[in-house]
Amino acid sequence: MHLLTSVGELETGELPFENASIWSETVPGSDTQLSASRAYTLSLSPQLIYTQSQLLPTLVSSKVYRQLEFQAVGSWWIYKPEAGEGSRLYRVPGSREDVFADDMISMKSKRTLMRFLRHLGQSQSDTSEEGGIPSEEEGLDTSLLEYLTTKFQVPAELHEPLLSLCLSQASLTQTPASYALPRIKRHLTSIGVFGPGFGSLSVKWGGGSEISQVGCRALAVGGGVYVLNTGVKSLEHSTEQEAVEDARIQLQLTNDELIKTKFVVGSNWDLPEEARPSCECDKVARSISVVSSPFESLFPVTAEGGPVPVGAVVVFPGSSLGHADDSPPVCTLVHSSETGECPAGQSVVYSSVSIPGPGGQLMIENAVQKLLEMAADPNAKVLWSLRYTQLGRSSVDGTPVPNITCPSKNVICLPPASLDLAFDDSLIDTVKNAWELIMGEEASQHEFMQFEDREGAYNEE
Amino acid sequence: MSESTSTNTPKPSSSVKLVLLGEAAVGKSSLVLRFVNNDFQENKEPTIGAAFLTQKCSLPTRTIKFEIWDTAGQERFASLAPMYYRNAQAALVVYDVTKPSSLTKAKHWVAELQRQASPGIVIALVGNKLDLTNDGIDTAGEAPAEADGESAADGEEAAGENQEEQDVASGDARKVPTREASSYAEEEGLLFFETSAKTGVNVVDVFTAIANAIPESSLKSGRGAGAGTGQTSLGSGRPADDSRVNLGERGPATAKEGCAC
Repeated sequence: MHLLTSVGELETGELPFENASIWSETVPGSDTQLSASRAYTLSLSPQLIYTQSQLLPTLVSSKVYRQLEFQAVGSWWIYKPEAGEGSRLYRVPGSREDVFADDMISMKSKRTLMRFLRHLGQSQSDTSEEGGIPSEEEGLDTSLLEYLTTKFQVPAELHEPLLSLCLSQASLTQTPASYALPRIKRHLTSIGVFGPGFGSLSVKWGGGSEISQVGCRALAVGGGVYVLNTGVKSLEHSTEQEAVEDARIQLQLTNDELIKTKFVVGSNWDLPEEARPSCECDKVARSISVVSSPFESLFPVTAEGGPVPVGAVVVFPGSSLGHADDSPPVCTLVHSSETGECPAGQSVVYSSVSIPGPGGQLMIENAVQKLLEMAADPNAKVLWSLRYTQLGRSSVDGTPVPNITCPSKNVICLPPASLDLAFDDSLIDTVKNAWELIMGEEASQHEFMQFEDREGAYNEE
Repeated sequence: MSESTSTNTPKPSSSVKLVLLGEAAVGKSSLVLRFVNNDFQENKEPTIGAAFLTQKCSLPTRTIKFEIWDTAGQERFASLAPMYYRNAQAALVVYDVTKPSSLTKAKHWVAELQRQASPGIVIALVGNKLDLTNDGIDTAGEAPAEADGESAADGEEAAGENQEEQDVASGDARKVPTREASSYAEEEGLLFFETSAKTGVNVVDVFTAIANAIPESSLKSGRGAGAGTGQTSLGSGRPADDSRVNLGERGPATAKEGCAC
């Protein structure tokens, strides 16, 4: 791989990204299998969406779901290194049927696993809190590893597979049981909600970016205005004392246009420096790789009558990559060309590891190489990759979601976005809080994100 | 079994996504309104509230159902997101024959389409507001601005396409010669028409020409459910929708699956 472009030390004040660099198999202009750039739609927010996420009813009530196309994320895989030629990807059983059908787990282990899964299921009915595990349950303040071994004697061969189901970006010993159990349960209970054999979705053409584009269009159709690729350069509060209720904030945009507004809402990276609260962020290493293989074996239809999955999760435990047992896993989300993100015959691999910088990038490179060895033909290779550090909020340590802040009057600062690999529903609560601040007394709970169709909007002017 | 379906076989029907592009106030929405509703509104407000309009166009061998995407006014800020162009099989790039800068803008949009849209997209360049030119008034000699609706439709078509020299002196508001735009269209391989959304001149012809120009190979049968809803799954030659998940179809499986033993 050759380094094409290194963005190097990006101003972190501008974007929640650092140290971006682009790598390519071949130098530009020479013979390459990479297609024209318009054949690709790569996403900086490729999160998968669990079928029970609150995002889905929100997209439905706001009516924008009709312009989105949802596809299934199917199998979870885990890399199991063995001596010699024995290394392979192991398909993690994601449902009771899967467990019964699995021929790698011993009968004894299956019984233990079933006991654990039953416990998870029962703990749901025991509590009124949705998705909650009874807080009085003992052992939740320990790590997932300790919980599994001491409470259920779950055999070691199942530890990493269970960890993968909660998409934890920390190791078994660093992942709290209180974090892991609700997420494993979420995985299991999400399967079958929208069809057999899958429990999570991805949005065609690039995930989160597609949702925001559809939102922008809905806004425009409703009479609002959005401007792309333009930021806020400076922000000035009105100095006039009178008519405080109607005071406007003057903004200078990065295209030098001046606009006045009653409210400004954004994350740290959207607000100009003088209006920005300080922010402590977690960092992860990420990469987007275009690979010259369709990875067909990663996308089996997981249940009779189910859709063809377009996404697969492949987890590489830190130890499987030659690192210490408590080093974090590399999580990859593989998208087939059916997502519309790349041409047929290729795939896009989104990778993440919670070690920012060169160390993390090395782990990712290693993992993607293993992925190619395990699931692609020998000639397959990474054609192009973007490597970067992403700033945001890690959820593994159990700290609550920070509230929105108001660094000055009518300036609303949203907390850093979640680095979770699945869509984090707390974002919806955050947006709702901002909406309530803006609407004031007019905010009524049942109107949030509820939009009626305009009369005739779908067949006439 | 085959007997019951063999009679009265309807013509094959295909949905085609068509996007509108062009400078603000050249009459994009008015063209569509004329095509879809055979209606015209004087002093129309900039477009809001319009997302999609659909209209069928019947050809001898097939029916084309246009799914027409309006810009909803976003061209003002050069803020059309990629999803707007995606899978569009046709584009109507509109300029105002009385405003040279709008042709320049139209050329920018054509370049943008050639860069961003599907390679096989059919692009029609349309000079609108023909009613404000000498080509657009009928023989009764009404002032251009008051040229009457439907009655003027016949007879002007030939003039609109062929006349090259314009008489600017006689109250003709034309600023873009037909030849300038048509030769550009020819160079770029675009369909070309001059129209009046106000009188209706050439409007249906534009859409019929687009329908005829769309290659058979890029059409697939309408899916019914997707038509008119803006779903962007049309005609890109991918396999059928076997990967699509419908949010309306909650499966029968309960939330307990996987853990209720």
